[in-house]
Amino acid sequence: MIGADDISDWMSDLRYRVRALFRRAELERELDDELRFHLEHETEKNLRAGVNTDEAQRRARVAFGGLDRIQEDARDARGVRAFETVMRDLRYAIRGLRAHPGFTLAVVATLALGIGANTAMFGIVDRLMFRPLAYLRDPSSVNRVYTAYDFRGKPEVDHHIEYTRYLDLSNGTKSFSQTAAVYSGSIAVGTGDDVHETTVAVVSASYFDFFDAHPVIGRFFTHQEDSLPVGTPVVVLGHSMWLTRFGGRADAIGQQLQVGAIRATIVGVAPEGFTGPDRSEPATAFVPITAYAYPVDSTYYSAYHWQWAEMLVRRKPGVSLSTASAEASNAYVRSWNRERSTEVNVPDVSQARPHIILAPMQLSRGPDAHQDAKVVLWICGVAAVVLLIACANVANLLLGRALRRRREIAVRLALGVTRRRLMAQLLVESVLLALCGGIAGILLGEAGSGLLRALFVPKADAIGLVADRRTLLFAALVAILAGVLTGLAPALHSAGEDLVTALKSGVREGTYQRSRTRAALLIAQGALSVFLLVGAALFVRSLHNVTALRLGYDVDPVLLVGRVMRSTRLSDSEKQLLGARLLEEVKSVPGVEHAALTQSVPFWDTESNYFSVPGVDSVQRLGSFTRHVASRDYFGTMGTRILRGRGFDASDRPGAPLVVVVSEGMAGTLWPGREAIGQCMKISADTMPCTTVVGIAENIKQESLTDDGQRLQYYLPFEQMAPARGSLLVRTRGNAQDIAETVRRRLQPLMPGTSFITVTPMRDIVDPELASWRMGATMFTLFGALALVLAAIGLYSVIAYDVAQRTHELGLRVALGAHARDVLRIVMAEGMRYALAGIAIGGAIALAAGRWVQPLLFGETARDPLVFASVATILVLVAVAACAIPALRAARVDPSIALRTE
Amino acid sequence: MPDAPDTDRLELPQGTLDLLILKALSLESQHGWAISERIRQVSSAALQIPQGSLYPALHRLERRGWIKARWGESDNNRRAKFYELTRTGRHQLDAETDAWRRLTLAVRLVLDMR
Repeated sequence: MIGADDISDWMSDLRYRVRALFRRAELERELDDELRFHLEHETEKNLRAGVNTDEAQRRARVAFGGLDRIQEDARDARGVRAFETVMRDLRYAIRGLRAHPGFTLAVVATLALGIGANTAMFGIVDRLMFRPLAYLRDPSSVNRVYTAYDFRGKPEVDHHIEYTRYLDLSNGTKSFSQTAAVYSGSIAVGTGDDVHETTVAVVSASYFDFFDAHPVIGRFFTHQEDSLPVGTPVVVLGHSMWLTRFGGRADAIGQQLQVGAIRATIVGVAPEGFTGPDRSEPATAFVPITAYAYPVDSTYYSAYHWQWAEMLVRRKPGVSLSTASAEASNAYVRSWNRERSTEVNVPDVSQARPHIILAPMQLSRGPDAHQDAKVVLWICGVAAVVLLIACANVANLLLGRALRRRREIAVRLALGVTRRRLMAQLLVESVLLALCGGIAGILLGEAGSGLLRALFVPKADAIGLVADRRTLLFAALVAILAGVLTGLAPALHSAGEDLVTALKSGVREGTYQRSRTRAALLIAQGALSVFLLVGAALFVRSLHNVTALRLGYDVDPVLLVGRVMRSTRLSDSEKQLLGARLLEEVKSVPGVEHAALTQSVPFWDTESNYFSVPGVDSVQRLGSFTRHVASRDYFGTMGTRILRGRGFDASDRPGAPLVVVVSEGMAGTLWPGREAIGQCMKISADTMPCTTVVGIAENIKQESLTDDGQRLQYYLPFEQMAPARGSLLVRTRGNAQDIAETVRRRLQPLMPGTSFITVTPMRDIVDPELASWRMGATMFTLFGALALVLAAIGLYSVIAYDVAQRTHELGLRVALGAHARDVLRIVMAEGMRYALAGIAIGGAIALAAGRWVQPLLFGETARDPLVFASVATILVLVAVAACAIPALRAARVDPSIALRTE
Repeated sequence: MPDAPDTDRLELPQGTLDLLILKALSLESQHGWAISERIRQVSSAALQIPQGSLYPALHRLERRGWIKARWGESDNNRRAKFYELTRTGRHQLDAETDAWRRLTLAVRLVLDMR
């Protein structure tokens, strides 16, 4: 039990220790006074007993005991001894480091690079993978729902589900205390000139119940407002939108805001940092999912064809992950059968084996995580390797310093300093260095994190590293770890030193000691650098391959023009007319070469419909067929080559014979070994007249850069299909980016009402697909170069130190007739031995790791001999450069001076 | 006063010095020398502790708040550091005296065992 006494005890203890710390001199004086008083009193007592003064004093001292010892014990009793010792070591360390600014700077800079790289990477990875959403209550009980089933014998996992499915899973389970449906999409917000597309979170009212967040003003929307079939048009503003668009004023509540197709009333403002389901793209507004979905598709809550929402659940306390997913899987099977009873083409449960996977909320930790997440993890590993190299380097520098201070240390040991105190002192020194490195590293990481964010999470909240507690804590931990790690080797080395040898040692006795630890550290650095450089080269070549890849269309000169129809109800024919007018208008913009209408865009849409081919059984089993509806100039606009036959031309009008262009892969699949041109396809139904194949187009990349002919394409003329919906593709002379805004301004006036034009360069659509390789190439190269520089510095410092140690020996050799050339060779050979050992070990590590890196590469084997050979060459060259300066210095040794040095 | 012969001196068990100091201070506040004299006299010089070792113990007790110190005038008009028991110190003395009595009683019972 803690009583009042305990607390007052504790307070008095603290007061005493604080006084001991800050009034040390005063306490020392008091101690002296007190002890002197005692001795004088005792002496007087002895004098009274009748002995002479000298004897009285002697007896008093004897009775008292050893004065020094007592004083020490009294100081210990103050309870701040350990702290004082550390402070003294710290002062000693600071003095020592200030005396060698070059050394200090080298160590701090090296550590700063290592710690900075790791801090910056931690900031990214933490956001991507570990940190739960702000305000989320008890994150460990929250899961994201993934549906999994077999399709064509291959397992498929998806985190997108139908809203109907969300209802089925919510109603069919008891394991969850909360379920929510969310969708995060780019939606046009505002009207007139003020309109722009931003990320909007479309959520069920239950979403807010997952969080301990309270609106800044107003309220979140309620379950009544999120009701079936169509919810109330209300909106909760994101904090940033409230500040930028409404100036943070309270009267924003009650105002109207156009969000997509709904005209919503603002009911509240979310608190700062409440980002919506996807942190990397913070939501600017929140609308009820039922209000959003109904205008898009009025059957969204009963049919199973719109797979768009994501589902979050919170497990009830005590319900395990396996119990919950088993129950959810049962609900999914019932839901599957319900879908099968209403829709065609749904395979049997026994065939599809549908089940539910519950995974952490972060997508990058889910079963269908994008390749980017894996690359990010690799880069984290790389950052850790850079830190290791930095630590090895610093340990080496410290060790060198310890060797230089051998005699100083030996003298102190001889004078009675305990080895423990000595080790503590060395550790204090290296932790101090590491903390300086840590502070410099955080600043460096802060500067670098802008670059990293742009690369990894371009749209995420731009909170700096320094402002972030978790990142700071991480940096501090890394710094202390680095300090202990780097301090350990020299400390152990010094503590184990044999006194007599060390005291006797000098330059003059002609031998010098190679430190085995230093050699090992040096080789380790070289090996790790080789490993990183191999990785860098592999990623750079992958990026090169993927960039040089022929996609089946051109990217840079193509613009995609979309139209977002709002607040006007146009008939289908009016929409077609609008499309035609936009097409005519855009052709008159200077710099535009070709323009075409299309219904689907690579990477964005994949469409298909039923067709059959006379003479071929069950066509759909042969592959995935993608339909493109494209106007006359489509192939010219996209740059997709027609290999044989023809593309579309003016003759493919409505009423003219139906024609189709198929991809090379599709022609080979359907009519192997035969001429595809002239063949007949029955589109939509077997009763339709023949649609004749008139041309063969090259294959295109449809869904990802790595798909190899898995998707087969066919093209139908826009004019014959006459769809109401369609985007414009524009081919420009030069870079499409440059005239994007001109195109938008020319077309916008043609749009009726509040409808508007969006313009997206094709490059922006394709670029995200390149991200993982670009990331890998950039970061591996950056860190690899860093590692190489560190390793070179390490090699240089060790060789230079050795040369300095061997001056006497080398001088002797020269005096005995050795040429400068011989000396050069001796020194260079030593450096080369380290470098070659490093290359061998690093190469072996890289070969072994190749298995895991391989899936991340593109068109490149992880064991590319060219890569290994070039990295080895680079390392040898760098090693030669690093050794050259000390070697040349050694070669110029003047024997008469060298032999006299001590 | 002659010191007692070596054979009659007792080694002080661990931690008893604190108890002795607290006891010595329980009647009046005293300075360090007086405490050591008092312990020596009362124990008939059987408990002979190196006088110096008193001071680390005093400082430790002061830190714990069981005793407090103030500078005052000694009998021969010199500045001396006087220690006195605090309320916590008095509680502590009672508790430790009690514990000590029970311990010695128990030990005696065991030793008297036949």
